[in-house]
Amino acid sequence: MRSSRVPGFRRARIAAAASLLTLAGTAAWAQDSVNIGAVLSLTGANATVGEDVRRGIMLGVEHVNAKGGVLGKKFNIIIEDSGGNPTTALNAARKLATVDKVPVVMGEYSSGITLPMAQYLVKEGVTHLNIASSSTKIRQLGATSFSLVGLENFGNQFSAKDTWDLGYRKVAMIAPNNAYGQGVLEGYKAEFEKLGGKVVTEVLYTAGQSTYRRELQQMSRSNPDAYVYTAYGQESAVINREAEELGLRKTPWYAILMSMSLSDTPPAIANGQIGMELGSVQGAAGKAYADAFKAKYTEGFKTSYTGYGYDGVLLTAAAIEKAKATTPAAIQAALKEIGATGFPGVTGTIRFDQDRQRVDPPYDKLKFEGGKLAPR
Amino acid sequence: MLQFLVDTVLRASDLALIALGLSMLYGLVKFPNVAHVQYAMFGAYVTYALQSSGFPLVGALLAGSVAAGLLTLGLQVLVFQRLLRGGPAIAMIGSLAVAMLVIAIMQGLAGSFPRMFNLPRVEPLVIGGARIAWTQLYLMGTTIVLLALFMLVLFHTRLGRAMRALSSNPMLANASGLNAERITYCVSFASGAIAGLGGSMLALSTGAHINLGNDLLLPVFAAAILGGLGNPIGAVFGALLIALTETAVTNLNFGPLLGRELAFMPVGYISAGSFLILLLALLFKPYGLFDRDVRRV
Repeated sequence: MRSSRVPGFRRARIAAAASLLTLAGTAAWAQDSVNIGAVLSLTGANATVGEDVRRGIMLGVEHVNAKGGVLGKKFNIIIEDSGGNPTTALNAARKLATVDKVPVVMGEYSSGITLPMAQYLVKEGVTHLNIASSSTKIRQLGATSFSLVGLENFGNQFSAKDTWDLGYRKVAMIAPNNAYGQGVLEGYKAEFEKLGGKVVTEVLYTAGQSTYRRELQQMSRSNPDAYVYTAYGQESAVINREAEELGLRKTPWYAILMSMSLSDTPPAIANGQIGMELGSVQGAAGKAYADAFKAKYTEGFKTSYTGYGYDGVLLTAAAIEKAKATTPAAIQAALKEIGATGFPGVTGTIRFDQDRQRVDPPYDKLKFEGGKLAPR
Repeated sequence: MLQFLVDTVLRASDLALIALGLSMLYGLVKFPNVAHVQYAMFGAYVTYALQSSGFPLVGALLAGSVAAGLLTLGLQVLVFQRLLRGGPAIAMIGSLAVAMLVIAIMQGLAGSFPRMFNLPRVEPLVIGGARIAWTQLYLMGTTIVLLALFMLVLFHTRLGRAMRALSSNPMLANASGLNAERITYCVSFASGAIAGLGGSMLALSTGAHINLGNDLLLPVFAAAILGGLGNPIGAVFGALLIALTETAVTNLNFGPLLGRELAFMPVGYISAGSFLILLLALLFKPYGLFDRDVRRV
């Protein structure tokens, strides 16, 4: 039977040929860029931080492409929203790994979201870069997970020493009731008690409440020298406002991860607080980055996490160049090599230990006055 | 001690207006309306929208409560009246669906960020050792005034007498010439408006957010059931009791029992305290605390 006798077959052949050509064309076009992925909190309680980090990341991609891209191709990042909850973040990571097939995924922000998401990525063999979370459980994620951020053991040591040096001996603590908050509470308490201090009240607050009066009243019963707290932006705004209304601000308030805790608190209420923060930008490279950020986005960065996003992008680009490949395994090997010698980032020199975690992470002592964060 | 009393009255006024509206309407329509607390959320958002576009606060509050009243009336006429033909259980399930719809629509329109009112910062009032923010004081004051007005209407006007008659025996009231439909519409609007006002004033302190209604659902129902569904004054006492339990449970220092200086019940468990009270009360008095009153009214 001659094929042209079957009705519609000629048309079908032409259509098939056309679609094959289009697909081939698309595939060729897609290979003209190197893609990596990121999962950020663009909505939800930490949207302010998420947007800030997104800006840092986009600036990094811009700078990489300005220097000629990666392996001669355009460097491109696909950003997905985690919605501030683990389920959405997991779906985003799944999409990046299976649909977009990226070799590297950066993210997220809250440890309670980073941990399950990274566990999935490690299982799939995709490289994971932690650019904001600090739970010590991140160390145990697996062989394809790298951390640019100092984990809590360093942070808690720093906070405990700082509050001890400030003269506080009895503190009341409040932190969110999740992996991050529990880690900070236990870690800080252990470090502070090693120095001889005492944590008289510990409160783990439930996320999403519209009032925290009762929790604050419980804490105030212990008459502490200072309140040590860490809280996510939106909830922290409520806590700070109600602490002010209840008259608790006459006692010093010390914020762990200050820019996160104060990201949504009105400056009038935040004035007078002291705290610590992940080292934001260090040295001349850091200053140049801060200027470039301000030039591109008019306002400076609102939190100290943007530098880690930027460094994550540049570090990945450097690793791909070094490996001369875009497979996850090659990139991981290159990252380990770079981490052994040290990568000059805007957050300082980035070195990894044998568990691929950041060595000697920087921290800053800050205070909030005159409407913004300033070094102490 | 004073702070304890202040906190109790404060929490009670969060709940009282909404529980009052719920119980009042229940007396006439005879089904528990799960969507009632969402009227409060709706009123809060309308008030926020108006206040942030420049309206004076009092005007925005009134407009918010009127809007909530109209919503209640609209839903009663278009949805619940028809559902009630299938019985109270069908109407209650329908009200659950309506509640979810209202939340979804508001979330689509207003987003999931809580909207804080832009109010001038004033120092809280300090009475004795207790501190009250001015917005909370206004809420308490408004609640008391509205309650007094409501009792006046209920017991000293014809409308109030008609409401009570209709609530206790609808068929006889109808036969006596009372226009059941018109009274139900009036009461629907009023209970919705009161809920909207309650929600708006609560939002002055906490901001207008999507979960405003849901957070109140269980305590408001507990208060209304404790007072006896259909007994609006009882609902207010129910609210007071719930508030008292919640405040007591969180302020009680269990330290001496556990050998520590200070130990408190974690705040997440306070609803368990109120519901334990509700359970115990219902075990002994199934028609609510004000047993005889309900059966008479």
